[in-house]
Amino acid sequence: MFGKVRNWLEIRIGLDELTRTQLTEYLIPKNINIFYTLGFVALAAFISQIITGFFLLIYYVPHSDYAFRSVQDIMNKVPYGWLFRMMHAVGSNLMVAVVILHMLSVFFMGSYKKPREMTWVVGSFMLLTTLTFCLSGYLLPWSQLSYWATTIVTTIPTAFPYVGEFITRMLRGGETVSGTTLNRFFALHVTFLPLLLLSFIAIHLFLIRRIGISSPPFGESSEEKKPWTRYRHESHAGGYPFYPYFVQKEMLMVSAYFVAMFFIISFLPTLFLPEDANTPADPFKTPAHIKPEWYFLALYQMLKIVPNKLLGISMQIVLVTLFILWPFFDTEEEDNILKRPLLRSLFIISILAWITLTIWGRYS
Amino acid sequence: MNRRRFLRSLLVVLGSTVLVSFVYPLVRFLAPPGGQAQGKKVVIKRSEIPTGSAKDIIVNSIPAIVINTPDKGFIALSKVCTHLGCLVEYEKAKKRLLCPCHAGVYTLEGAVVSGPPPKPLQKFPLKVEGEDIVIG
Amino acid sequence: MRRGIPLVIIALMIFFVAPLVSGQGGGGQEESVCLGCHDSDMMKPEFRSIPSEWKKSWHYQNNVSCNDCHGGDPKDAAMAMSPERGFVGKPNYAEVPEFCGKCHIGILKNYLESGHGKALKSTQSGPNCVTCHGSHEIQKADISIINEKRCSQCHTYDRARTVKQALFVTEKEIRNVERGLKELRRSGVFTEEQERTLFSTEAEFRTLFHSVDVSLIKDRTNEFTRKLDQIDSQIRDLSHELLFRKNFAAFLMLLFLGICIVVFSLSKTS
Repeated sequence: MFGKVRNWLEIRIGLDELTRTQLTEYLIPKNINIFYTLGFVALAAFISQIITGFFLLIYYVPHSDYAFRSVQDIMNKVPYGWLFRMMHAVGSNLMVAVVILHMLSVFFMGSYKKPREMTWVVGSFMLLTTLTFCLSGYLLPWSQLSYWATTIVTTIPTAFPYVGEFITRMLRGGETVSGTTLNRFFALHVTFLPLLLLSFIAIHLFLIRRIGISSPPFGESSEEKKPWTRYRHESHAGGYPFYPYFVQKEMLMVSAYFVAMFFIISFLPTLFLPEDANTPADPFKTPAHIKPEWYFLALYQMLKIVPNKLLGISMQIVLVTLFILWPFFDTEEEDNILKRPLLRSLFIISILAWITLTIWGRYS
Repeated sequence: MNRRRFLRSLLVVLGSTVLVSFVYPLVRFLAPPGGQAQGKKVVIKRSEIPTGSAKDIIVNSIPAIVINTPDKGFIALSKVCTHLGCLVEYEKAKKRLLCPCHAGVYTLEGAVVSGPPPKPLQKFPLKVEGEDIVIG
Repeated sequence: MRRGIPLVIIALMIFFVAPLVSGQGGGGQEESVCLGCHDSDMMKPEFRSIPSEWKKSWHYQNNVSCNDCHGGDPKDAAMAMSPERGFVGKPNYAEVPEFCGKCHIGILKNYLESGHGKALKSTQSGPNCVTCHGSHEIQKADISIINEKRCSQCHTYDRARTVKQALFVTEKEIRNVERGLKELRRSGVFTEEQERTLFSTEAEFRTLFHSVDVSLIKDRTNEFTRKLDQIDSQIRDLSHELLFRKNFAAFLMLLFLGICIVVFSLSKTS
């Protein structure tokens, strides 16, 4: 039965050749490690968000008078609505964590270096898009947490002279966060951002396949180190077949992702939904301890400790630019981070600083 | 059956269980709500409420009141005050609804006149069919 | 594998940071100009304590401010105590019930019909609102307001004790239901409808007390118990639903864990 279907497809699209070139004869380096699957896990997480988001869209009402109620109805009246809402809410946080780990891994392995600079740049834009997803999606339940966290974050651009107020008013669609803000964040979250991120993913995947997957700088390498002066595809002769070797690893990590997700949904359901997330938005009453979500805390805290607002935000822009264009700052050919103590220290210090600022931001 | 085949079939079993565990909730999620979400209708006779008077009823377990207003016909409003939930009282002489807890005042259409209520009273769909009044 | 260890450590650190920093934790309102003078050194000592007392009160928690009771303009210091803006100042002892009854209408009605109300109106003495609830540091009412010290100022305590006993059962149930709803709220369920019904039942119950009529209270107790039982059964249903959700999600988690293990074993086979 399967054979008949395969044959039918083979005559029309050359299924066998596809299977060979994309799966069984597509070779990956022998020293590849499990962290290389994180990109795929991020993609799986994004697909999970799209699917659960689509189902939520069926019952969610994007109007400030009905938004909160519609989310409550999804949680309590629609059968299994709670399942899709929880998957979407928990998934958004897990996706950010996975994306961050993926970036750390790429950095650590030096995979952003020549010839893969563009892949890194596109990837950093994907990170920014993911964070914008989080920012816009956070407002949609129209809870106290949504309203006030959005108010805080959209106040940040006012640090810019002249254009700051304008930017904030454009973001909010008015002087304060209101139903207008909800409408534009909703449009962003549901149409523009998905299309943007999908385009970035397509470019990112094209670059990876076209250039060839990088290999870790440790352990055996089946590739000689030749200077890059002409285009060549890294084919990893003598490596393992993508299917089943790497596909197995990917399946394992994706399952682990969902284990983490359902662990949180089952045993820690209020981890990302504190009481303020369950209270309807009240523009006249600011809750006592509103803070942005954990992935923004470090940036938030950094802004708080720099005395001058303009200096603070300029610093952040400089850091973000440095981050996006990093492959052009670090052009050292040696890609083994264990042989570069300075970079290694920079890496560890940055992570510790980020973690410290995040925890400080939480408890200050 | 060797180990590989066993593991493979186990994977298929687990995978299908996962699939079914999502498909079943999905079908329930998408299915139209059926009778219970529409709620039951309440029918009372016109003659039960002379002009200017009102009658207490319950609509979908919400305490409500049907008023025969002097100028705008029949209206069915929830009696639950939008401030904190106390039940409002109909004041025929003053042509208004008053909440005894914190003096929230509503018009006979449910709009807030004064006091702490943040929103108007919930209105229920009401149809007059001959001698019957159908609410809900 | 050894080289992957730093990454694993970092991954673990991130996964532990996220929960540490999730979760949040009061009210912001514009201050009326009244506090500016009443809190200052110039003010007479007996008036100076008022703002701090008011800040401890249940009224303060619910955004009820000076002008809501005393009138006047809360934004304009010059007109803050002007009769033109409705300022009524401090009520006389016998007029306190009408002063509080501007908002607490139902309670005023019951009180005036009660022995206490009649005593106040006919003799100008007897308990008014302030006698039991205080004036500015008012707390949310509960059964402990009825006690020997307070209720034996004019008559023997046994009358008050009878009323307290009649109230006791309902009071206990109200507290239980309140606690159950709080638990549900903390677990993420939106319980507004049940909280409203509880509030309305509790308000009716408290209003009724002001009639200090034991037989009336006993008559209505069944009605209150019925309403409270209804909320209680809703609470139990919701708790069951929460348990089902937890189990279902745990079941899904175990399925994925199984897949992890099988895929891992497959990768190690042949």
